[in-house]
Amino acid sequence: MAGAIIENMSTKKLVIMGVTLLLFQALAFMVGGLIAPSPTTAVHYLATKCVDKIKHQEESKWFMPWGHDQCEKIRTFDEAVAKRIEANNIVFAIHIPMPQKEMSPWFQFMLVILQFDIAFKMYNQIEDGAMASLDVRLAYRDDTVSDWTEMAHSLELRKLSCNFTTTRTFENEGRYYECDLLPFMEIGSVAHKYYLLNIRLPVNERRKVNVGIGEIKDIRLVSIHQNGGFTKVWFAMKTFLTPSILIIMIWYWRRIMLMSRPPVLLEKVILALGISMTFINIPVEWFSIGFNWTWMLLFGDIRQGIFYSMLLSFWIIFCGEHLMDQTERNRFSVYWKQVGPIVFGSFCLFIFDMCERGVQLTNPFYSIWASDVGTELAMAFIIVAGICACLYFLFLCFMVFQVFRNISGKRTSLPAMSKARRLHYEGLIFRFKFLMLVTLTCAAMTVIFFIISQVNEGHWHWGEHTVQVNSAFFTGIYGMWNLYVFAIMFLYAPSHKRYGDERSSGQCITGDAGANSGEDIQLTTTITHVDGPTEIYKLTGKEAHE
Amino acid sequence: MRSRLPRTACLLRLIALCILLSHSAAYFGLTGREPLVLLPAPFSNEAPTGKAHLKQCEQMSLTRRQKRLCRREPGLAETLRESVRLSLLECRYQFRNERWNCSMDGRGSLLKRAFKETAFLLAVSSAALTHALAKACSSGRMERCTCDDSPGIQHREAWQWGVCGDNLKYSTKFLKKFLGQKRVSKDMRAQVDIHNINAGIRAVKSGLKTTCKCHGVSGSCAVRTCWKQLPPFHDTGRLLKYRHDTAMRVLSVTNAATGETELAGPHRHSQSLRTTDLVYLEDSPSFCRPSRYSAGTGGRSCAKDTTCQSLCCGRGYNTAMRLTSMSCHCQVRWCCHVECQTCVREEEVYTCKTA
Repeated sequence: MAGAIIENMSTKKLVIMGVTLLLFQALAFMVGGLIAPSPTTAVHYLATKCVDKIKHQEESKWFMPWGHDQCEKIRTFDEAVAKRIEANNIVFAIHIPMPQKEMSPWFQFMLVILQFDIAFKMYNQIEDGAMASLDVRLAYRDDTVSDWTEMAHSLELRKLSCNFTTTRTFENEGRYYECDLLPFMEIGSVAHKYYLLNIRLPVNERRKVNVGIGEIKDIRLVSIHQNGGFTKVWFAMKTFLTPSILIIMIWYWRRIMLMSRPPVLLEKVILALGISMTFINIPVEWFSIGFNWTWMLLFGDIRQGIFYSMLLSFWIIFCGEHLMDQTERNRFSVYWKQVGPIVFGSFCLFIFDMCERGVQLTNPFYSIWASDVGTELAMAFIIVAGICACLYFLFLCFMVFQVFRNISGKRTSLPAMSKARRLHYEGLIFRFKFLMLVTLTCAAMTVIFFIISQVNEGHWHWGEHTVQVNSAFFTGIYGMWNLYVFAIMFLYAPSHKRYGDERSSGQCITGDAGANSGEDIQLTTTITHVDGPTEIYKLTGKEAHE
Repeated sequence: MRSRLPRTACLLRLIALCILLSHSAAYFGLTGREPLVLLPAPFSNEAPTGKAHLKQCEQMSLTRRQKRLCRREPGLAETLRESVRLSLLECRYQFRNERWNCSMDGRGSLLKRAFKETAFLLAVSSAALTHALAKACSSGRMERCTCDDSPGIQHREAWQWGVCGDNLKYSTKFLKKFLGQKRVSKDMRAQVDIHNINAGIRAVKSGLKTTCKCHGVSGSCAVRTCWKQLPPFHDTGRLLKYRHDTAMRVLSVTNAATGETELAGPHRHSQSLRTTDLVYLEDSPSFCRPSRYSAGTGGRSCAKDTTCQSLCCGRGYNTAMRLTSMSCHCQVRWCCHVECQTCVREEEVYTCKTA
């Protein structure tokens, strides 16, 4: 690819560009680390135990834990025993958010986790495989005085997986079981200011509903939402990145269109990569501030999925096009074996996501993990996707290995080749090695920062400043892959410089073609078949020897 | 009696503490001696905007600053009562097999001294208050919880931007404000008390468990949120009991460099004094016979092979046969409904002799 900008750039310009990109990279990390708050906030809620005194339960009645018009409360269930209140008359009420606060569309999403505090009692132990069945209702309102509007009402089953770590004796009565977190609710947009949850645990002994679930002391919820500050920084970043990628993409495609030949596969794939990056970048989330679009979470997942599969396909095709064996490729269908696992794997994850977040569009309390069949199904999808990923990486590693084997094979025969052919191969090797290096660096950075953000407490104190490591991870990695796509489109675009030399280089290749017809195929199948070496390329070609 | 009189500032602080606890004495007095009879205080069902909490604040004997805090924060009065209940229950549970069974009778005299038991009382009270405050925050009973301490930004903006701290951070800070331990005191007794109060707070903090939830693309761990979970108060109580058993007797040492008095552990323990340890100044009395600290162990029931020996202080025990009815074959629900058969069992009951 003698015509690619990367080869025609002088080392100095390449270094300048690298430094500029690094500066932007540092900026992306700093925006997240210093300006943004942590990405998400977890808020604890302790359910208030309200008493529903009306015998026939009125559907429209809502129970408020505090504030104006609050319900009749009991502190502990011992009090309920004394007052002869039945389990069916207990309503657990949770108001989201806390007093004096209000939710905002900037929070983007809210997911709620449920935890039971179950005390150990010798005569009331949790049975094996006990299921809690919850009658949950969710309501919203936008000011503190109006009536609550019901958003969702559902009867949910959750499996209690609790274990008691100490010995089961009378001595240890009253100590709590250690229970797993239960997924409870997920809403994809926080369009209202106040939310109210009413949970009942109805008992029906004949139908074995809520029997043998131990002595419940409390219900605790943890709600997780994205921080408004992080959302703003994130939106700002997207708004800035969209035009940058869009402009370079248009510039890139114009250059290809200017050429006399039709675009080859690799060029098309790079364009597709740019399009999928832009697709992620376009800040459609701005609309979630004004509209109640609950599908935004799902849409975000789909966009990310498309980008990841595009990136993976790009790597495979890039390797394939640089194989330097004497096979005609340049067609997408050649790569079905490698791209197949990607498509199948992402399809599996898409189905899984539709089963989880898709169903949550209609029932926010739905969780695929709540039922046994659902869990198995979800695990099946994830395992199949995992196998596909493994298959893909085996293919990729094998291809990279093949390329390197061919490179070392070619290198020995390089001095014997004609000048044009030699420069052509040197170009191929240089381009491949460059992308390999950049890709590995980016992947390593992603993995390293991922690990740091996982093991870390979330923020570092650095003198006066607090660095939000998790936010820095998100903005930094997001910025990095944007810069990666940007750099690829810029560096691998055809160079203007070839126009002057087109005729002479064409002659070079035609002259050379008669000598070795076997290698001729290779020369005409890569992107560069009409491009010849240029003057600057001859200067920078030395890098390829490295 | 203590020979050295504490300085005025320390005196005030001590009074504040003693008042907090002596208030609780009045409260316990109302509700009876046995934990089982201990009825929960009536839950206020009035809106927090009402004046109910003002009355509650007046009923408690608090210092002026504490009253001001109490009036400003509508949920505080109830939380204070809740914390007293919590600490008393836990103290009784942890000391059920000890010679001092956390009886509140001689507590006034006990608090004047600096025994191990005093250290535990202080620590368990501060731990319970920390716990109760954090819990009250998460149930929405308190209005000013997190977001209150973020400097420079308004409460609402801090919440929207996402820079609010967690409940426990707030409750620790509030507790320090409430007890008014800002200045470092030179008085040794006050230092010991503050140390024990902080040890109580630390006991709550050390039991915190970090829990995480993954919620990235398709539930992957690309996005993960972690939070700290308050331990059950039983666990904190057990930890404090352990600290009580391994408490350190301390001496006052003048720091040569700064000229300030500091607490220091005895030299035979090579390790230095840790902030998590409970400290005391005087050896405890035996609590065997009635004194102004306790009613003695006479009449206490004990378990024959395990506790009777130590509990009865070598005075021996009486054995009696008694028919006890127990509930068995119970049909229970998760709440409020227990249907049991009554099984009668003959039991030997051991009680310590009084003399």
